[in-house]
Amino acid sequence: MHAFTTTADPVTAACGVAGHALLEVKLTDIAAVRELPVPAGITPLPARFLRHADEQTVVGLRAVLESVAACRAAGTSDAESDFADYGVVSAPCQPGRIPAAHCLNLLRSDGPSTVSPHIVPQCSLHSIAGAVSVALGMHGPNVGVSGGPHALSEGLMASMTLLSTGAAPGIWFVATTWDCEPTLDADGAPVERAFDPPICVAFAVALTAATAPAASRLVLRIAPLSPPPRQPRLVRSPADDVRRFAQAIEAAAVDGEASNRWSHAMPWAGELRIARVPATPRLKEAA
Amino acid sequence: MIVATSTSEPIVITGVGAVSPVGNGFAAIADGLLEGRSGIRPIEPGGFSRPGRQFAAPVLEIPTPTSPDIDLDAFAKLGRLGQLCGSPAADALADAGLRPATDQLRIGLVLGLGAEHLKAWEIDFLGGGTRVFEPHCDDTLVHRLARMLQLRGPAVTVAAACASSGYALAIGRAWLSAGWVDACVAGGCDMISPTGLAAFYNLRALSRRGDDPALASRPFDRDRDGFVMGEGGACLVLERRSAARDRGARLYGELAGVGMSSDATHMVTPCSDPTQAARAIRMALDDAGIAADQLDYVNAHAAGTPVGDVAEAGALHMALGSAVDTVPVSSTKSMSGHLVSGAAAFEAVACLAAIDRQAVPPTVNLDHPDPQCPLDHVPHTARERRVVVTASNSFGFGGANLCLVIRHAA
Repeated sequence: MHAFTTTADPVTAACGVAGHALLEVKLTDIAAVRELPVPAGITPLPARFLRHADEQTVVGLRAVLESVAACRAAGTSDAESDFADYGVVSAPCQPGRIPAAHCLNLLRSDGPSTVSPHIVPQCSLHSIAGAVSVALGMHGPNVGVSGGPHALSEGLMASMTLLSTGAAPGIWFVATTWDCEPTLDADGAPVERAFDPPICVAFAVALTAATAPAASRLVLRIAPLSPPPRQPRLVRSPADDVRRFAQAIEAAAVDGEASNRWSHAMPWAGELRIARVPATPRLKEAA
Repeated sequence: MIVATSTSEPIVITGVGAVSPVGNGFAAIADGLLEGRSGIRPIEPGGFSRPGRQFAAPVLEIPTPTSPDIDLDAFAKLGRLGQLCGSPAADALADAGLRPATDQLRIGLVLGLGAEHLKAWEIDFLGGGTRVFEPHCDDTLVHRLARMLQLRGPAVTVAAACASSGYALAIGRAWLSAGWVDACVAGGCDMISPTGLAAFYNLRALSRRGDDPALASRPFDRDRDGFVMGEGGACLVLERRSAARDRGARLYGELAGVGMSSDATHMVTPCSDPTQAARAIRMALDDAGIAADQLDYVNAHAAGTPVGDVAEAGALHMALGSAVDTVPVSSTKSMSGHLVSGAAAFEAVACLAAIDRQAVPPTVNLDHPDPQCPLDHVPHTARERRVVVTASNSFGFGGANLCLVIRHAA
């Protein structure tokens, strides 16, 4: 075979950014969030829908629900059905550890008949995306992405990929992680801590095609070839990454200068930035 | 802010790597599937056996990569799931003529892995470890493999339950179409584990037949009672057709169409209304620019569950219309078992085998077709026929639907 050489120049993709919500919930408060009614105007969840859901699913879904409600309040969406053709991309960081510890303890002590049938559908990488799709009746593709320290960047790239295919008019992107992850005791129960309690952080944002009206644009730049990393690229903190991204999206909606300060290096030669674009007429009316 | 080099150029498959219960590598798998060979056998699931006979479809041997530039110490440290992914990824690159690694290409890696973290905790726990109890945030397998394979493009893990590796192929195809990579390794694998076996058994999703294991997986048969867990999967190298032709690469086929949708009705049970599954099939046909009656073969998702097989038959009827009477349909899960995250990529290889050998692989054990699944079945033995255009369905928990159209690469 002949040699194969790259066509690589820096390539850039973009998508629009619509509604968004950041939610932070202490581990001890998640049980209450599980029981909260949906915001006004949204179809109620099926009975016991979140009973077996992992903590990151509970908080991630709540972030989407609040964001949908905010879209309606802001006038950028009239109804839940506006999102019926949307897809969902969830990007959790190691979801399902608390249920998994409980499940493994039971497997060892009492045998396979005690393993919960919910562990696979409720604690896998795609569980949050599946739950959001079911809860809000979204018929676009639903996908889980990453599960590790680079979840934010991998999830955003996957979202922009799906938008580039035209598979859905928009994607609800949900990043979830822990700030101060729970430590579990030998029974799999979270250890209470006086300082640095575990906080589940979730950020939901609606991404649209680059040509759709939006308050700001997310830009992905894929650099030309560079040496591959020999060691894992360090991540400051997945929770800080999610918070900084949420702050930048918020800033982009009101202050273009602030958004220019945010960038996010991918674990390979790529970079994400946010660019502010002029407000759409609809957003102006809402303001 | 535009995509710099987007293209509608066909995306072709130039390398295949696969490890499976019916054999390793393209030729062995094609032989096995067309001979109707079952990979299902008795197993001892890690000391957590329940009363009665246990069976599954394990991978008997994971080939060690032979490319001299791969660090075999790093490969040895990957663990079983990592090796089940790393071995076919390395083989696919070698098969495509892209080994040893080159500094001149931006090659991406997309892995469909549904629950990598759960498997890692389980393996550690059953080995006496305590990782599941401790805060940590480990690098994911896809990045470890990208470093081992010295790839210089994007690397992402995606999951859509049993459709995971099909979504990986869809993402890889989109990266090539958008000009984000020069080539992409895409696919996925899964492994059998005690927790997975127990959870699916307790969900009443697994076959409970106690006789010959090879008879347990019976998609579309009226006596089916669930699926058989398998492991393994496949990785494919995708490229733009012009680049593949220019370098004289073998073209296994074209990934011509992709359709994706969600039922949005239930986290586990397939929707009884086939509308969304049928929409995914129709989207894939439209994307490929073909009509239903041009299909020469459908590799069904059909795992052998009572509800799922009927739902898929309904979706095929809705999507294909009257053509459903003449399009051969089979489920290779009758031989391989259900490879879960790896199923869609493995079944893409089954479609490539049908195109290569001009024959449709059979559904073994299909003694009494379920009248609720009226399709042009291929029971027991392969059917020789012209095969140019194929489709492969995958459906998963969370309501994920996926269809790939794979055709002969012109």
